[in-house]
Amino acid sequence: MKTKRLFVLFSISLLLVPMLVFAAGAAEQSGGGQDGVITLSVYHYLDQTDKTTAPNFQYLVDVFEKENPGIKLNFEYGYGESFHDKLQTMAMSGQLPDIILLYPGERTSQVTSAGLVKDLRPYLKGHEDEFADMAMQPQGANGEIWELPEDISVTSIMYTNNRLLKELGLTVPKTYEELLAQGPIIRAAGLIPLSIANKDAWPMQSCLAGMLVERTCGMEWFDKALSGEASFSDPEFVRAMEIIKELYDKQMFSPGTNQLAYGQGLDDFVNEKAVYLIDGGWTVNNMVGELSDAQKEYVSLESFPDIPGQKGQSRSASATAGQGFGMNAKLDERKAEAAWKWIWFYSGPEGSAIRQRFGRLPAYNLDEPEDADPMIKKLIAYAGSVPMGYVMDSVIAAEPIGTFNINLQNMMFGTMTPQDVATDLERMVESVGR
Amino acid sequence: MTFSRQKHLSYWAFVLPGLLVFVAIIIFPVVFSLSLSFTTWKGYGSPTFIGMENYAKIFADSVFLHSLRNNLLIVAISVFGQIPLGFLLAFLLYRKVVRHGAFYQTMIFLPITISPVVVALLWNQIFSSSGIIVTIVRAATKNPQYVMEIFEDKSLAIVPILFVLLWMHTGTYMIIYYANLQKMTPSVLEAAQLDGASEGQMFAHIILPSMVGTIATTAIFAISGSLKAFDLIYAMTGGGPAHFTEVIAIYMYVNTFKYYKYGFGSAVSIVIVVLAVGLILLLQYISGKIERKFE
Amino acid sequence: MKRYSTVGKVLSYLLMISFTVLTVVPLVWMILSAFKPHAEIVRHPLMPPLSWYFDNFVLAWTQGHLGIYFLNSIFYSVVATVVTVLLALSGGYALSKFFYRSGKFIYMLYTLGLLITVHSVIVPLFIMETRLGISNTRLGVVLPYIAFGLPFQVFLSTTYIKGIPDSIQESAIIDGANYFQIFWRIIIPVATPIISTMFIYTFLGNWNEFILVLTLTSELSIRSLPVGINSFAGGMSRDYGLQFAALVIGTVPMIIFYLIFRDKIAQGFAAGATKE
Repeated sequence: MKTKRLFVLFSISLLLVPMLVFAAGAAEQSGGGQDGVITLSVYHYLDQTDKTTAPNFQYLVDVFEKENPGIKLNFEYGYGESFHDKLQTMAMSGQLPDIILLYPGERTSQVTSAGLVKDLRPYLKGHEDEFADMAMQPQGANGEIWELPEDISVTSIMYTNNRLLKELGLTVPKTYEELLAQGPIIRAAGLIPLSIANKDAWPMQSCLAGMLVERTCGMEWFDKALSGEASFSDPEFVRAMEIIKELYDKQMFSPGTNQLAYGQGLDDFVNEKAVYLIDGGWTVNNMVGELSDAQKEYVSLESFPDIPGQKGQSRSASATAGQGFGMNAKLDERKAEAAWKWIWFYSGPEGSAIRQRFGRLPAYNLDEPEDADPMIKKLIAYAGSVPMGYVMDSVIAAEPIGTFNINLQNMMFGTMTPQDVATDLERMVESVGR
Repeated sequence: MTFSRQKHLSYWAFVLPGLLVFVAIIIFPVVFSLSLSFTTWKGYGSPTFIGMENYAKIFADSVFLHSLRNNLLIVAISVFGQIPLGFLLAFLLYRKVVRHGAFYQTMIFLPITISPVVVALLWNQIFSSSGIIVTIVRAATKNPQYVMEIFEDKSLAIVPILFVLLWMHTGTYMIIYYANLQKMTPSVLEAAQLDGASEGQMFAHIILPSMVGTIATTAIFAISGSLKAFDLIYAMTGGGPAHFTEVIAIYMYVNTFKYYKYGFGSAVSIVIVVLAVGLILLLQYISGKIERKFE
Repeated sequence: MKRYSTVGKVLSYLLMISFTVLTVVPLVWMILSAFKPHAEIVRHPLMPPLSWYFDNFVLAWTQGHLGIYFLNSIFYSVVATVVTVLLALSGGYALSKFFYRSGKFIYMLYTLGLLITVHSVIVPLFIMETRLGISNTRLGVVLPYIAFGLPFQVFLSTTYIKGIPDSIQESAIIDGANYFQIFWRIIIPVATPIISTMFIYTFLGNWNEFILVLTLTSELSIRSLPVGINSFAGGMSRDYGLQFAALVIGTVPMIIFYLIFRDKIAQGFAAGATKE
């Protein structure tokens, strides 16, 4: 009797053992330390199937590893929302990798506010002036820099197809009314006036609303609203919402914009079905590969036209210092130094020069490259010539902004008024604390 | 060793290995969730106890209530759509009303084998405003502004999703019923046929009563599956536009992983469980009554 | 004898054919699109390919690391499925034929398990696995697969084994067999139809699982196919041809798997879903 029972227990555990062994074999390979090689784990945001970004990033890694044979980087890649989901899970269990890609503002605050990463200021000392001012804004309550921004993202560019414009006998609009008046002409030609795909709800906020708020309210008001001296339910903010509503009602956006997945906006522009595209500067990265040489000639980067009675600056766009790498607070000195080597390589002069050639807009100040793609040159010129306001999702907390994005959709469908949207944002911002 | 002792030990040897894995990986975290649901926690620092506040907030939130409504519609489409349709299809195949039954059976079940993410992507290519239907209508009517308005209507936006769910899951129920029908004794039906019973009478008086138990069991799967529906809807619409197609599982996911409200999110998962238990008890009560009626 | 009116027959065919069309058309369109380059899909989404373009598959396979993912998918699906089915059968046997009071409670726990979403346990699960040191290992993926597979499978096996007459077990005991012998020699052979169903159903679920493997692993070498597919299907993919090729690679093996085993599913469900 007893032997048989043992036999069964044994056979069950037998099933589990090979799994354990197999599993363990896969897990333990990164120890690091021996023969002077430092191994660092890196969590990075990357779509590994992207035909432009992935090989470009690999190129940077190869250059770095060649120059630093003593450092071995072990990458884990996340992409889309799952990047953030996984990052949160890692942060909560206190199991962060050595180097982590972080975002400015609130997007990765569960990592930065929890004190899980090192302040980079001591490492950066003396190099602050080499970066765009925007990139050196304090990120923590005591002025900490948690991540070294790689790029400046301009989020609200009005890409313009001048060939179509000429065909229709139009010119780049100077005023909002002029833009509205172009709508019927463009639509009559079977084209889309402003291509924007808002199914995911963030583009309308990130690529349009923030810029409009700067125009109707001005930066002074914006700062006051963020600190609580002004309210988001003020009439000037409501005015910005009304403009979005009007653009929607007058069919200026892509038809069914709230059903279109992000990416479709660019598709329609590349295929010359749209005269203007409302999108961020990061899109240039894709345009380099997707626009024909002829298109690169006649596509220009413009600002949204002036709005009657605007308090903000003419031609302003919204921009934020982008994401960058930070390092785990638990790293010892030796590892931290190695981690900094990578961070500095990536966001500092060397990596920035490489990334600029790939179509990015580095936060590190560089001269304009001579051999760059025409679209990249246009982006650099544009970013250098227009005043910049805030991107809403980099200055307002996740929940209020998430609700705001969706309320904008509600407003377009008529289930909320512009005033409702403004009031609700004020209420949400107030409830989570400014 | 006594016989009853041997029985006892064998029992635990059979039950324990699975139970341990299950408890460690599912029940344990659920208990963790339950206790977290009475707190507010941002994922770092220590949680603050707030009693029932999360639950009160959930039921006061119009987004949750709309999600709940959508979930109940999904329960309805599975219980009153997939199950009867699956039954009808199984019946038609069993009675060989159509030729090439095996072929149709395969086609109806096939959607189950495809990952929900892929299903969502395919249907989006059909439904979206850059998709096939819209492209065709635009070309046919020469109206480049045409969009499918059903997706922008608060109460109707869920309908296309219900349709996809119906298409996707009817096959499961058909297979279950078809197999159960094959277990019936053919002589009973033959005898009824000789007595001059019509196909309809046989369906109502012989086939249906014998299947009540099976239907009740499948309804439990239907309810539990419908209340935790996530993958397909998330991949198709993400709950949007404007929360119109949101369901409770998406509501929970967004609050937990996007707004970092772990306590609140836990409370939502507990609500899903409680709702499902309630519906299943209701179902068992009803099916018990029906079964007694047939006896 | 004609037992169905023409109208009834026509309606029946209509129903069958509409289901078939709804299934076949999107799949065929997906497969055809996978052989078209991106530009051609954008310009002529509905046309069959002008020429057979295989680069999508080559690129998707190499760029998306689908080769490694494919092997891992097979490993996870096979191991987790075999263990789940075995544990569910032994559990189902114990819960249906031993009549202990604790059995009812355990069965209830499993029923509760049917209602738990992955998202509501993923955070505590990740914390537990990192503490135990099994996150980012194959074991750390397989164990949750088993746990999430068990409730439904225990449900199926319990209802099925309940239907096997008690007298068989009693006579075997009189003949001096112990419970393990009964399990191996009587229950498992009798339960073959349900076993194949359980196997196929669990296998499909494991094959398509995404959230657990993504969260609980970080190294490319132990991730599975849905992670690869998802990076193409994620919406931001700028190449539809690649996307469709990846979808075909993820979908077609399961369709073939199903076509091979379809008869078993039917037989098994028959038995499994019946009470008594």
